Amino acid sequence: METAAPIRRHRSFSFGRVWTIATGTLTQLVRMKVFAFMAIFAVVLIGASFAFADLKTEQELKMLKDVSFAAIQLFCMLFAIAGTAMLIPRDVEDRTLYTILCKPVSRLEYLLGKLGGMVLVLVISLGAMDLLFTGVLHLKQRTVVEQNVAELEYRPFRSQEEREKAVAEIIEVATQQGASWNLQAGMAAILAKSIVLTAVTLLVSTFATSTLFTIMVSLALMVIGHAQGLAREVLLDEADGAVLPRLVAGGVAVLFPDFKTFDVLDAVITGTVVPGVEVLKMGGLCGIYCVLYMLAAWVLFADKEL
Amino acid sequence: MSSVPAVSVEQLTRVFRVPGLRRREFTAVSDVSLEVQPGEVYGLIGPNGSGKSTTMKVLLGLLRATSGKCAIFGRDSARVDSREEVGYLPENPYFYKHLTGAETLEFYGKLCGLRGRELRERIGEMLALVDLEESRDRRLGGYSKGMLQRIGLAQAIIHRPRLVVLDEPTAGVDPLGSRQIRDLILELKRRGITVILSSHLLEQVQEVCDRIGIIFRGRMLREGSLAQITEVGNRSEIVLEGMTPELMEEIRALAAARGAKWIHDGHPRTTLETLFLEVTSAAAEAARASAGKS
Repeated sequence: METAAPIRRHRSFSFGRVWTIATGTLTQLVRMKVFAFMAIFAVVLIGASFAFADLKTEQELKMLKDVSFAAIQLFCMLFAIAGTAMLIPRDVEDRTLYTILCKPVSRLEYLLGKLGGMVLVLVISLGAMDLLFTGVLHLKQRTVVEQNVAELEYRPFRSQEEREKAVAEIIEVATQQGASWNLQAGMAAILAKSIVLTAVTLLVSTFATSTLFTIMVSLALMVIGHAQGLAREVLLDEADGAVLPRLVAGGVAVLFPDFKTFDVLDAVITGTVVPGVEVLKMGGLCGIYCVLYMLAAWVLFADKEL
Repeated sequence: MSSVPAVSVEQLTRVFRVPGLRRREFTAVSDVSLEVQPGEVYGLIGPNGSGKSTTMKVLLGLLRATSGKCAIFGRDSARVDSREEVGYLPENPYFYKHLTGAETLEFYGKLCGLRGRELRERIGEMLALVDLEESRDRRLGGYSKGMLQRIGLAQAIIHRPRLVVLDEPTAGVDPLGSRQIRDLILELKRRGITVILSSHLLEQVQEVCDRIGIIFRGRMLREGSLAQITEVGNRSEIVLEGMTPELMEEIRALAAARGAKWIHDGHPRTTLETLFLEVTSAAAEAARASAGKS
Protein backbone atom coordinates (compact mmCIF):
# COMPACT_ATOMS: atom_id res chain seq x y z
CA MET A 1 0.00 0.00 0.00
CA GLU A 2 1.29 3.43 -0.90
CA THR A 3 1.56 5.80 2.01
CA ALA A 4 2.97 9.25 2.56
CA ALA A 5 6.50 10.05 1.43
CA PRO A 6 9.41 10.10 3.83
CA ILE A 7 10.10 13.59 5.11
CA ARG A 8 12.38 15.46 2.71
CA ARG A 9 14.99 17.85 4.03
CA HIS A 10 13.65 21.32 3.35
CA ARG A 11 15.95 23.96 1.95
CA SER A 12 14.85 27.41 3.05
CA PHE A 13 15.75 28.84 -0.37
CA SER A 14 15.77 26.94 -3.62
CA PHE A 15 16.71 28.25 -7.06
CA GLY A 16 14.83 25.25 -8.44
CA ARG A 17 11.53 26.53 -7.02
CA VAL A 18 12.28 30.08 -8.23
CA TRP A 19 13.08 28.73 -11.70
CA THR A 20 9.86 26.66 -11.74
CA ILE A 21 7.77 29.76 -10.98
CA ALA A 22 9.79 31.84 -13.47
CA THR A 23 9.32 29.37 -16.33
CA GLY A 24 5.66 28.98 -15.34
CA THR A 25 5.25 32.76 -15.62
CA LEU A 26 7.02 32.74 -18.99
CA THR A 27 4.68 30.00 -20.28
CA GLN A 28 1.67 31.93 -18.94
CA LEU A 29 2.65 35.14 -20.75
CA VAL A 30 3.66 33.33 -23.96
CA ARG A 31 0.32 31.49 -24.08
CA MET A 32 -1.50 34.77 -23.47
CA LYS A 33 0.04 35.75 -26.82
CA VAL A 34 1.84 38.77 -25.38
CA PHE A 35 4.44 38.57 -28.13
CA ALA A 36 1.78 39.69 -30.60
CA PHE A 37 2.86 43.25 -29.87
CA MET A 38 6.08 42.52 -31.76
CA ALA A 39 4.08 42.46 -34.99
CA ILE A 40 3.28 46.15 -34.34
CA PHE A 41 6.97 46.78 -33.77
CA ALA A 42 7.84 45.09 -37.06
CA VAL A 43 5.37 47.35 -38.90
CA VAL A 44 6.83 50.46 -37.20
CA LEU A 45 10.36 49.36 -38.07
CA ILE A 46 9.67 48.53 -41.70
CA GLY A 47 7.66 51.75 -42.10
CA ALA A 48 10.55 53.75 -40.61
CA SER A 49 13.04 52.12 -42.97
CA PHE A 50 11.17 53.59 -45.95
CA ALA A 51 10.18 56.89 -44.36
CA PHE A 52 13.41 58.88 -44.43
CA ALA A 53 14.67 58.16 -47.92
CA ASP A 54 15.10 61.87 -48.80
CA LEU A 55 17.60 62.53 -46.02
CA LYS A 56 21.38 62.32 -46.13
CA THR A 57 23.08 58.96 -45.44
CA GLU A 58 23.94 59.84 -41.84
CA GLN A 59 20.55 61.34 -41.02
CA GLU A 60 18.63 58.53 -42.67
CA LEU A 61 20.33 55.87 -40.55
CA LYS A 62 20.12 58.05 -37.42
CA MET A 63 16.38 58.53 -37.89
CA LEU A 64 15.85 54.82 -38.39
CA LYS A 65 17.76 54.15 -35.16
CA ASP A 66 15.93 56.93 -33.34
CA VAL A 67 12.46 55.68 -34.26
CA SER A 68 13.36 52.03 -33.66
CA PHE A 69 14.96 52.60 -30.26
CA ALA A 70 12.01 54.76 -29.20
CA ALA A 71 9.58 52.00 -30.25
CA ILE A 72 11.62 49.24 -28.55
CA GLN A 73 11.90 51.27 -25.35
CA LEU A 74 8.22 52.14 -25.30
CA PHE A 75 7.15 48.54 -25.94
CA CYS A 76 9.50 47.10 -23.33
CA MET A 77 8.66 49.58 -20.59
CA LEU A 78 4.90 49.44 -21.12
CA PHE A 79 5.09 45.68 -21.32
CA ALA A 80 7.14 45.53 -18.10
CA ILE A 81 4.39 47.47 -16.32
CA ALA A 82 1.29 45.88 -17.89
CA GLY A 83 2.65 42.32 -17.79
CA THR A 84 3.84 42.53 -14.20
CA ALA A 85 0.81 44.39 -12.86
CA MET A 86 -1.55 41.51 -13.50
CA LEU A 87 0.62 38.66 -12.20
CA ILE A 88 -0.02 38.77 -8.44
CA PRO A 89 -3.64 40.09 -8.50
CA ARG A 90 -4.62 37.36 -10.94
CA ASP A 91 -3.03 34.65 -8.79
CA VAL A 92 -4.86 36.02 -5.73
CA GLU A 93 -8.19 36.34 -7.55
CA ASP A 94 -8.03 32.81 -8.97
CA ARG A 95 -6.76 31.39 -5.65
CA THR A 96 -3.80 29.95 -7.56
CA LEU A 97 -1.57 31.74 -5.07
CA TYR A 98 -3.02 29.60 -2.24
CA THR A 99 -2.10 26.39 -4.02
CA ILE A 100 1.45 27.68 -4.66
CA LEU A 101 2.13 29.05 -1.18
CA CYS A 102 0.71 25.90 0.41
CA LYS A 103 3.56 24.02 -1.16
CA PRO A 104 6.93 24.45 0.53
CA VAL A 105 7.46 27.74 -1.31
CA SER A 106 8.44 30.88 0.55
CA ARG A 107 6.94 34.21 -0.41
CA LEU A 108 10.39 35.49 -1.41
CA GLU A 109 10.81 32.57 -3.82
CA TYR A 110 7.39 33.34 -5.28
CA LEU A 111 8.26 37.02 -5.84
CA LEU A 112 11.67 36.22 -7.31
CA GLY A 113 10.05 33.63 -9.59
CA LYS A 114 7.60 36.21 -10.89
CA LEU A 115 10.44 38.72 -11.44
CA GLY A 116 12.51 36.01 -13.15
CA GLY A 117 9.62 35.09 -15.45
CA MET A 118 9.15 38.70 -16.52
CA VAL A 119 12.90 39.09 -17.06
CA LEU A 120 12.85 35.98 -19.30
CA VAL A 121 9.97 37.43 -21.32
CA LEU A 122 11.75 40.78 -21.62
CA VAL A 123 15.03 39.15 -22.70
CA ILE A 124 13.26 37.05 -25.35
CA SER A 125 11.14 39.89 -26.71
CA LEU A 126 14.04 42.38 -26.65
CA GLY A 127 16.30 39.79 -28.28
CA ALA A 128 13.78 39.24 -31.07
CA MET A 129 13.31 43.00 -31.60
CA ASP A 130 17.08 43.46 -31.53
CA LEU A 131 17.57 40.82 -34.22
CA LEU A 132 14.87 42.33 -36.40
CA PHE A 133 16.15 45.87 -35.90
CA THR A 134 19.81 44.97 -36.52
CA GLY A 135 18.82 43.04 -39.64
CA VAL A 136 16.76 45.91 -41.05
CA LEU A 137 19.48 48.44 -40.17
CA HIS A 138 22.13 46.28 -41.81
CA LEU A 139 20.07 45.99 -45.01
CA LYS A 140 19.33 49.72 -44.94
CA GLN A 141 23.04 50.46 -44.45
CA ARG A 142 23.94 48.39 -47.51
CA THR A 143 21.19 49.93 -49.63
CA VAL A 144 22.16 53.45 -48.62
CA VAL A 145 25.84 52.84 -49.41
CA GLU A 146 24.99 51.34 -52.79
CA GLN A 147 22.64 54.23 -53.64
CA ASN A 148 25.11 56.91 -52.59
CA VAL A 149 28.00 55.29 -54.38
CA ALA A 150 25.83 54.97 -57.50
CA GLU A 151 25.00 58.69 -57.27
CA LEU A 152 28.73 59.48 -57.39
CA GLU A 153 28.72 58.37 -61.02
CA TYR A 154 26.98 61.63 -61.91
CA ARG A 155 29.41 63.82 -59.97
CA PRO A 156 32.53 65.11 -61.63
CA PHE A 157 35.79 64.17 -59.91
CA ARG A 158 39.18 65.64 -60.69
CA SER A 159 40.91 62.35 -60.08
CA GLN A 160 40.25 58.70 -59.29
CA GLU A 161 41.80 59.30 -55.89
CA GLU A 162 39.21 61.96 -55.08
CA ARG A 163 36.41 59.62 -56.08
CA GLU A 164 37.80 56.81 -53.92
CA LYS A 165 37.99 59.25 -51.03
CA ALA A 166 34.31 60.13 -51.47
CA VAL A 167 33.35 56.44 -51.53
CA ALA A 168 35.42 55.81 -48.40
CA GLU A 169 33.64 58.70 -46.66
CA ILE A 170 30.24 57.25 -47.51
CA ILE A 171 31.28 53.84 -46.20
CA GLU A 172 32.78 55.36 -43.04
CA VAL A 173 29.63 57.34 -42.24
CA ALA A 174 27.43 54.33 -42.95
CA THR A 175 29.61 52.08 -40.79
CA GLN A 176 29.56 54.57 -37.93
CA GLN A 177 25.79 54.96 -38.09
CA GLY A 178 24.87 51.44 -39.16
CA ALA A 179 24.61 48.09 -37.44
CA SER A 180 27.39 47.66 -34.89
CA TRP A 181 28.07 46.21 -31.45
CA ASN A 182 27.51 49.70 -30.05
CA LEU A 183 23.79 49.21 -30.60
CA GLN A 184 23.88 46.47 -27.97
CA ALA A 185 24.77 49.08 -25.34
CA GLY A 186 21.45 50.73 -26.14
CA MET A 187 19.64 47.41 -25.91
CA ALA A 188 21.34 46.72 -22.56
CA ALA A 189 20.13 50.10 -21.29
CA ILE A 190 16.54 49.37 -22.35
CA LEU A 191 16.68 45.93 -20.74
CA ALA A 192 18.11 47.33 -17.50
CA LYS A 193 15.43 50.04 -17.35
CA SER A 194 12.65 47.52 -18.05
CA ILE A 195 13.91 45.13 -15.37
CA VAL A 196 14.01 47.95 -12.81
CA LEU A 197 10.49 48.95 -13.83
CA THR A 198 9.37 45.32 -13.46
CA ALA A 199 10.77 45.22 -9.91
CA VAL A 200 9.05 48.54 -9.08
CA THR A 201 5.73 47.29 -10.48
CA LEU A 202 6.04 44.05 -8.54
CA LEU A 203 6.65 46.10 -5.38
CA VAL A 204 3.56 48.22 -6.07
CA SER A 205 1.41 45.16 -6.76
CA THR A 206 2.23 43.70 -3.33
CA PHE A 207 0.18 46.44 -1.66
CA ALA A 208 -2.08 47.57 -4.50
CA THR A 209 -5.78 46.87 -4.39
CA SER A 210 -6.25 46.47 -8.13
CA THR A 211 -4.37 45.95 -11.38
CA LEU A 212 -5.43 49.40 -12.59
CA PHE A 213 -3.98 51.03 -9.46
CA THR A 214 -0.70 49.16 -10.00
CA ILE A 215 -0.50 50.27 -13.63
CA MET A 216 -1.28 53.92 -12.85
CA VAL A 217 1.21 54.13 -9.95
CA SER A 218 3.92 52.36 -11.96
CA LEU A 219 3.40 54.68 -14.93
CA ALA A 220 3.71 57.65 -12.57
CA LEU A 221 6.91 56.16 -11.13
CA MET A 222 8.25 55.68 -14.65
CA VAL A 223 7.69 59.38 -15.40
CA ILE A 224 9.18 60.43 -12.04
CA GLY A 225 12.12 58.12 -12.67
CA HIS A 226 12.90 59.89 -15.94
CA ALA A 227 12.59 63.37 -14.43
CA GLN A 228 13.98 62.89 -10.95
CA GLY A 229 17.64 63.36 -11.90
CA LEU A 230 16.82 66.77 -13.32
CA ALA A 231 14.60 67.69 -10.37
CA ARG A 232 17.38 66.68 -7.97
CA GLU A 233 19.92 68.86 -9.75
CA VAL A 234 17.59 71.86 -9.61
CA LEU A 235 16.81 71.22 -5.94
CA LEU A 236 20.46 70.92 -4.99
CA ASP A 237 21.43 73.99 -7.02
CA GLU A 238 18.81 76.08 -5.26
CA ALA A 239 19.51 74.54 -1.86
CA ASP A 240 22.85 76.28 -1.59
CA GLY A 241 23.99 73.94 1.17
CA ALA A 242 20.67 73.85 3.09
CA VAL A 243 20.01 70.50 4.81
CA LEU A 244 16.29 69.97 4.14
CA PRO A 245 16.40 70.19 0.32
CA ARG A 246 19.39 67.87 0.36
CA LEU A 247 17.48 65.37 2.50
CA VAL A 248 14.45 65.58 0.21
CA ALA A 249 16.70 65.10 -2.82
CA GLY A 250 18.37 62.12 -1.17
CA GLY A 251 15.03 60.61 -0.23
CA VAL A 252 13.70 60.98 -3.74
CA ALA A 253 16.87 59.38 -5.10
CA VAL A 254 16.47 56.37 -2.81
CA LEU A 255 12.70 55.91 -3.24
CA PHE A 256 12.46 56.36 -6.98
CA PRO A 257 14.65 54.82 -9.66
CA ASP A 258 16.75 57.31 -11.59
CA PHE A 259 16.20 56.24 -15.19
CA LYS A 260 18.39 59.10 -16.44
CA THR A 261 21.45 57.05 -15.45
CA PHE A 262 20.43 54.47 -18.09
CA ASP A 263 20.17 57.06 -20.86
CA VAL A 264 22.85 56.07 -23.35
CA LEU A 265 20.46 55.92 -26.27
CA ASP A 266 21.29 59.44 -27.52
CA ALA A 267 24.95 58.49 -27.70
CA VAL A 268 24.17 55.21 -29.46
CA ILE A 269 21.92 56.98 -31.99
CA THR A 270 24.53 59.63 -32.80
CA GLY A 271 27.11 56.88 -33.26
CA THR A 272 29.22 57.69 -30.20
CA VAL A 273 30.82 54.55 -28.80
CA VAL A 274 29.54 53.70 -25.29
CA PRO A 275 32.43 52.31 -23.21
CA GLY A 276 32.00 48.80 -21.77
CA VAL A 277 32.44 50.14 -18.26
CA GLU A 278 29.27 52.25 -18.73
CA VAL A 279 27.33 49.11 -19.62
CA LEU A 280 28.72 47.37 -16.54
CA LYS A 281 27.73 50.35 -14.39
CA MET A 282 24.18 50.18 -15.75
CA GLY A 283 24.05 46.46 -15.01
CA GLY A 284 25.30 47.04 -11.46
CA LEU A 285 22.81 49.83 -10.85
CA CYS A 286 20.00 47.69 -12.22
CA GLY A 287 21.03 44.91 -9.81
CA ILE A 288 21.12 47.31 -6.83
CA TYR A 289 17.67 48.70 -7.64
CA CYS A 290 16.26 45.20 -8.07
CA VAL A 291 17.67 44.02 -4.73
CA LEU A 292 16.26 47.10 -2.94
CA TYR A 293 12.81 46.91 -4.51
CA MET A 294 12.53 43.15 -4.10
CA LEU A 295 13.51 43.41 -0.41
CA ALA A 296 10.81 46.05 0.08
CA ALA A 297 8.31 43.87 -1.85
CA TRP A 298 9.23 40.88 0.32
CA VAL A 299 8.71 42.84 3.55
CA LEU A 300 5.24 43.94 2.37
CA PHE A 301 4.26 40.60 0.83
CA ALA A 302 5.44 38.56 3.83
CA ASP A 303 2.73 40.19 5.95
CA LYS A 304 0.06 40.27 3.26
CA GLU A 305 -3.17 38.61 4.34
CA LEU A 306 -4.31 36.17 1.70
CA MET B 1 -0.18 5.28 16.24
CA SER B 2 2.32 8.12 16.52
CA SER B 3 2.08 10.22 19.67
CA VAL B 4 2.50 13.45 17.68
CA PRO B 5 -0.87 14.59 16.34
CA ALA B 6 -1.13 15.32 12.62
CA VAL B 7 -2.77 18.64 13.40
CA SER B 8 -2.90 20.50 16.64
CA VAL B 9 -4.78 23.79 16.97
CA GLU B 10 -4.63 25.38 20.39
CA GLN B 11 -6.88 28.28 21.39
CA LEU B 12 -6.72 29.81 17.95
CA THR B 13 -8.10 33.33 17.63
CA ARG B 14 -8.05 35.38 14.49
CA VAL B 15 -9.21 39.00 14.42
CA PHE B 16 -9.54 41.00 11.19
CA ARG B 17 -9.44 44.78 10.98
CA VAL B 18 -12.38 46.10 9.00
CA PRO B 19 -11.10 48.65 6.44
CA GLY B 20 -12.37 52.14 7.08
CA LEU B 21 -11.85 55.19 9.21
CA ARG B 22 -13.31 53.60 12.31
CA ARG B 23 -10.91 51.02 13.62
CA ARG B 24 -13.48 48.28 13.87
CA GLU B 25 -12.49 44.67 14.30
CA PHE B 26 -14.11 41.41 13.36
CA THR B 27 -13.35 38.15 15.13
CA ALA B 28 -13.49 35.36 12.55
CA VAL B 29 -12.24 32.60 14.84
CA SER B 30 -12.32 32.68 18.62
CA ASP B 31 -10.48 30.33 20.94
CA VAL B 32 -10.79 27.28 18.68
CA SER B 33 -8.92 24.13 19.66
CA LEU B 34 -8.84 20.82 17.84
CA GLU B 35 -6.56 17.86 17.37
CA VAL B 36 -6.44 15.42 14.48
CA GLN B 37 -4.58 12.14 14.83
CA PRO B 38 -2.55 10.64 11.95
CA GLY B 39 -4.73 8.66 9.53
CA GLU B 40 -7.99 10.28 10.65
CA VAL B 41 -10.49 12.01 8.41
CA TYR B 42 -11.70 15.10 10.25
CA GLY B 43 -14.74 17.05 9.11
CA LEU B 44 -15.05 20.73 9.92
CA ILE B 45 -18.62 21.79 9.36
CA GLY B 46 -20.47 25.03 9.81
CA PRO B 47 -22.49 27.60 7.86
CA ASN B 48 -20.91 30.15 5.52
CA GLY B 49 -18.75 32.67 7.35
CA SER B 50 -18.44 30.50 10.44
CA GLY B 51 -14.62 30.49 10.40
CA LYS B 52 -13.83 27.17 8.68
CA SER B 53 -11.73 28.64 5.85
CA THR B 54 -9.98 31.06 8.21
CA THR B 55 -9.00 28.16 10.49
CA MET B 56 -7.67 26.27 7.47
CA LYS B 57 -5.77 29.28 6.16
CA VAL B 58 -4.06 29.82 9.51
CA LEU B 59 -3.23 26.12 9.58
CA LEU B 60 -1.64 26.46 6.13
CA GLY B 61 0.32 29.61 6.96
CA LEU B 62 -1.69 31.81 4.60
CA LEU B 63 -2.92 33.88 7.53
CA ARG B 64 -1.30 34.61 10.87
CA ALA B 65 -3.01 33.75 14.11
CA THR B 66 -3.87 36.73 16.31
CA SER B 67 -3.30 34.39 19.24
CA GLY B 68 -3.00 30.66 19.76
CA LYS B 69 -0.89 28.00 18.11
CA CYS B 70 -1.17 25.67 15.11
CA ALA B 71 1.16 22.77 14.43
CA ILE B 72 1.40 20.15 11.69
CA PHE B 73 3.08 16.94 12.80
CA GLY B 74 4.62 18.92 15.65
CA ARG B 75 6.01 21.70 13.46
CA ASP B 76 4.74 25.27 13.72
CA SER B 77 2.40 25.69 10.76
CA ALA B 78 3.69 29.23 10.09
CA ARG B 79 7.02 27.70 9.03
CA VAL B 80 7.43 27.03 5.31
CA ASP B 81 8.98 23.61 5.95
CA SER B 82 5.78 22.38 7.65
CA ARG B 83 4.18 22.49 4.18
CA GLU B 84 6.34 19.59 3.00
CA GLU B 85 3.74 17.48 4.79
CA VAL B 86 0.59 19.21 3.52
CA GLY B 87 -1.52 19.19 0.39
CA TYR B 88 -4.29 21.75 0.00
CA LEU B 89 -7.26 22.12 -2.28
CA PRO B 90 -8.92 25.53 -1.84
CA GLU B 91 -12.60 26.20 -2.42
CA ASN B 92 -13.38 26.82 -6.11
CA PRO B 93 -9.78 26.87 -7.29
CA TYR B 94 -8.87 28.13 -10.73
CA PHE B 95 -5.50 26.79 -11.71
CA TYR B 96 -3.51 28.23 -14.59
CA LYS B 97 -5.93 27.84 -17.50
CA HIS B 98 -3.11 27.90 -20.03
CA LEU B 99 -1.56 24.70 -18.66
CA THR B 100 -2.67 21.17 -19.51
CA GLY B 101 -3.54 18.66 -16.80
CA ALA B 102 -0.11 17.02 -17.00
CA GLU B 103 1.68 20.40 -17.06
CA THR B 104 -0.25 21.52 -13.99
CA LEU B 105 0.90 18.47 -12.05
CA GLU B 106 4.45 18.96 -13.34
CA PHE B 107 4.42 22.58 -12.12
CA TYR B 108 3.24 21.68 -8.61
CA GLY B 109 5.45 18.59 -8.48
CA LYS B 110 8.51 20.68 -9.26
CA LEU B 111 7.59 23.16 -6.54
CA CYS B 112 7.69 20.21 -4.14
CA GLY B 113 11.14 19.18 -5.31
CA LEU B 114 10.14 16.30 -7.59
CA ARG B 115 12.19 15.94 -10.75
CA GLY B 116 12.88 13.64 -13.70
CA ARG B 117 11.59 10.09 -13.77
CA GLU B 118 10.07 10.25 -10.29
CA LEU B 119 8.01 13.27 -11.32
CA ARG B 120 6.90 11.73 -14.63
CA GLU B 121 5.81 8.54 -12.90
CA ARG B 122 4.02 10.46 -10.20
CA ILE B 123 2.12 12.54 -12.79
CA GLY B 124 0.96 9.33 -14.48
CA GLU B 125 -0.12 7.82 -11.14
CA MET B 126 -2.03 10.92 -10.10
CA LEU B 127 -3.82 11.26 -13.44
CA ALA B 128 -4.85 7.62 -13.19
CA LEU B 129 -6.01 8.06 -9.59
CA VAL B 130 -8.28 10.99 -10.43
CA ASP B 131 -9.38 9.41 -13.72
CA LEU B 132 -8.04 12.19 -15.97
CA GLU B 133 -5.60 10.21 -18.09
CA GLU B 134 -7.56 10.93 -21.26
CA SER B 135 -7.54 14.66 -20.55
CA ARG B 136 -3.87 14.91 -19.60
CA ASP B 137 -2.99 17.04 -22.65
CA ARG B 138 -6.08 19.24 -22.57
CA ARG B 139 -5.72 22.75 -21.24
CA LEU B 140 -7.48 23.42 -17.94
CA GLY B 141 -9.51 26.17 -19.59
CA GLY B 142 -11.55 23.38 -21.17
CA TYR B 143 -12.03 21.32 -17.99
CA SER B 144 -15.41 20.95 -16.29
CA LYS B 145 -15.90 21.93 -12.66
CA GLY B 146 -15.60 18.32 -11.48
CA MET B 147 -12.45 17.78 -13.54
CA LEU B 148 -10.90 20.92 -12.05
CA GLN B 149 -11.64 19.68 -8.55
CA ARG B 150 -10.08 16.32 -9.37
CA ILE B 151 -6.93 17.86 -10.89
CA GLY B 152 -6.87 20.07 -7.79
CA LEU B 153 -6.93 17.01 -5.60
CA ALA B 154 -4.16 15.44 -7.69
CA GLN B 155 -1.91 18.52 -7.29
CA ALA B 156 -2.62 18.50 -3.57
CA ILE B 157 -1.23 14.97 -3.17
CA ILE B 158 1.44 14.94 -5.90
CA HIS B 159 4.25 15.12 -3.30
CA ARG B 160 2.77 12.33 -1.11
CA PRO B 161 1.83 14.58 1.83
CA ARG B 162 0.87 13.08 5.17
CA LEU B 163 -1.93 15.63 5.60
CA VAL B 164 -4.46 16.80 2.99
CA VAL B 165 -6.68 19.81 3.63
CA LEU B 166 -9.78 20.03 1.44
CA ASP B 167 -11.93 23.15 1.55
CA GLU B 168 -15.36 22.45 0.06
CA PRO B 169 -13.99 19.90 -2.42
CA THR B 170 -17.43 19.16 -3.89
CA ALA B 171 -18.71 22.74 -4.16
CA GLY B 172 -20.55 23.16 -7.45
CA VAL B 173 -19.85 19.59 -8.55
CA ASP B 174 -22.70 17.32 -9.79
CA PRO B 175 -23.61 14.18 -7.75
CA LEU B 176 -21.50 11.86 -9.89
CA GLY B 177 -18.44 14.10 -9.62
CA SER B 178 -19.15 14.53 -5.95
CA ARG B 179 -19.25 10.76 -5.49
CA GLN B 180 -15.91 10.42 -7.32
CA ILE B 181 -14.34 12.95 -4.97
CA ARG B 182 -15.83 11.13 -1.97
CA ASP B 183 -14.27 7.89 -3.24
CA LEU B 184 -10.92 9.65 -3.62
CA ILE B 185 -11.11 10.84 -0.03
CA LEU B 186 -11.82 7.28 1.10
CA GLU B 187 -8.84 6.14 -0.99
CA LEU B 188 -6.63 8.68 0.79
CA LYS B 189 -7.91 7.35 4.10
CA ARG B 190 -7.12 3.81 2.98
CA ARG B 191 -3.59 4.95 2.21
CA GLY B 192 -3.20 6.25 5.75
CA ILE B 193 -3.25 9.94 4.81
CA THR B 194 -4.77 12.35 7.31
CA VAL B 195 -7.56 14.45 5.81
CA ILE B 196 -9.21 17.62 7.05
CA LEU B 197 -12.39 18.28 5.15
CA SER B 198 -14.74 21.21 5.16
CA SER B 199 -18.04 20.71 3.37
CA HIS B 200 -21.67 21.76 3.28
CA LEU B 201 -22.70 18.27 2.18
CA LEU B 202 -23.32 16.91 5.64
CA GLU B 203 -24.29 13.49 4.37
CA GLN B 204 -20.96 13.18 2.62
CA VAL B 205 -19.11 14.35 5.71
CA GLN B 206 -20.96 11.70 7.68
CA GLU B 207 -19.94 9.06 5.14
CA VAL B 208 -16.21 9.75 5.15
CA CYS B 209 -15.26 11.39 8.43
CA ASP B 210 -14.07 9.70 11.61
CA ARG B 211 -14.34 12.82 13.72
CA ILE B 212 -16.25 16.04 13.32
CA GLY B 213 -16.07 19.59 14.62
CA ILE B 214 -19.05 21.94 14.37
CA ILE B 215 -17.97 25.57 14.16
CA PHE B 216 -20.38 28.49 14.34
CA ARG B 217 -19.63 32.22 14.45
CA GLY B 218 -15.97 31.45 15.00
CA ARG B 219 -16.48 29.15 17.97
CA MET B 220 -16.19 25.38 18.15
CA LEU B 221 -19.57 24.22 19.44
CA ARG B 222 -19.21 20.44 19.36
CA GLU B 223 -16.35 18.10 18.62
CA GLY B 224 -15.91 14.37 18.72
CA SER B 225 -16.16 11.07 16.88
CA LEU B 226 -19.05 10.65 14.48
CA ALA B 227 -20.66 8.04 16.71
CA GLN B 228 -20.39 10.24 19.81
CA ILE B 229 -21.56 13.40 18.18
CA THR B 230 -24.60 11.97 16.37
CA GLU B 231 -25.81 9.64 19.11
CA VAL B 232 -29.15 10.53 20.73
CA GLY B 233 -28.50 9.09 24.18
CA ASN B 234 -32.06 8.59 25.41
CA ARG B 235 -33.43 6.90 22.30
CA SER B 236 -32.88 3.47 20.70
CA GLU B 237 -33.37 2.21 17.17
CA ILE B 238 -34.19 -1.32 15.95
CA VAL B 239 -34.29 -2.21 12.24
CA LEU B 240 -36.00 -5.54 11.48
CA GLU B 241 -36.55 -7.41 8.26
CA GLY B 242 -39.70 -9.55 7.80
CA MET B 243 -41.78 -7.61 10.28
CA THR B 244 -45.48 -8.63 10.42
CA PRO B 245 -48.33 -6.42 11.74
CA GLU B 246 -48.90 -8.93 14.55
CA LEU B 247 -45.27 -8.82 15.69
CA MET B 248 -45.40 -5.03 15.54
CA GLU B 249 -48.44 -4.98 17.81
CA GLU B 250 -46.73 -7.31 20.28
CA ILE B 251 -43.63 -5.12 20.44
CA ARG B 252 -45.79 -1.99 20.87
CA ALA B 253 -47.69 -3.62 23.71
CA LEU B 254 -44.48 -4.76 25.39
CA ALA B 255 -42.97 -1.30 25.12
CA ALA B 256 -46.10 0.30 26.60
CA ALA B 257 -46.19 -2.23 29.43
CA ARG B 258 -42.56 -1.44 30.34
CA GLY B 259 -43.15 2.35 30.28
CA ALA B 260 -41.26 3.17 27.04
CA LYS B 261 -42.73 5.83 24.74
CA TRP B 262 -43.23 4.77 21.10
CA ILE B 263 -41.90 7.65 18.99
CA HIS B 264 -41.95 6.46 15.43
CA ASP B 265 -42.15 3.44 13.18
CA GLY B 266 -41.99 3.08 9.40
CA HIS B 267 -39.74 1.97 6.58
CA PRO B 268 -36.12 3.18 6.45
CA ARG B 269 -35.55 5.58 3.56
CA THR B 270 -32.67 5.75 1.17
CA THR B 271 -31.00 9.09 0.52
CA LEU B 272 -31.77 11.13 -2.56
CA GLU B 273 -28.09 10.93 -3.52
CA THR B 274 -28.06 7.12 -3.31
CA LEU B 275 -31.34 6.90 -5.24
CA PHE B 276 -30.02 9.29 -7.92
CA LEU B 277 -26.81 7.33 -8.31
CA GLU B 278 -28.66 4.00 -8.43
CA VAL B 279 -31.10 5.23 -11.08
CA THR B 280 -28.44 6.90 -13.27
CA SER B 281 -26.02 3.97 -12.94
CA ALA B 282 -28.79 1.52 -13.92
CA ALA B 283 -29.73 3.68 -16.91
CA ALA B 284 -26.08 3.93 -17.97
CA GLU B 285 -25.70 0.15 -17.59
CA ALA B 286 -28.81 -0.45 -19.69
CA ALA B 287 -27.56 1.96 -22.37
CA ARG B 288 -24.19 0.18 -22.47
CA ALA B 289 -25.91 -3.21 -22.68
CA SER B 290 -28.19 -2.15 -25.54
CA ALA B 291 -25.21 -0.58 -27.35
CA GLY B 292 -23.35 -3.87 -26.93
CA LYS B 293 -26.27 -5.85 -28.42
CA SER B 294 -26.65 -3.60 -31.45
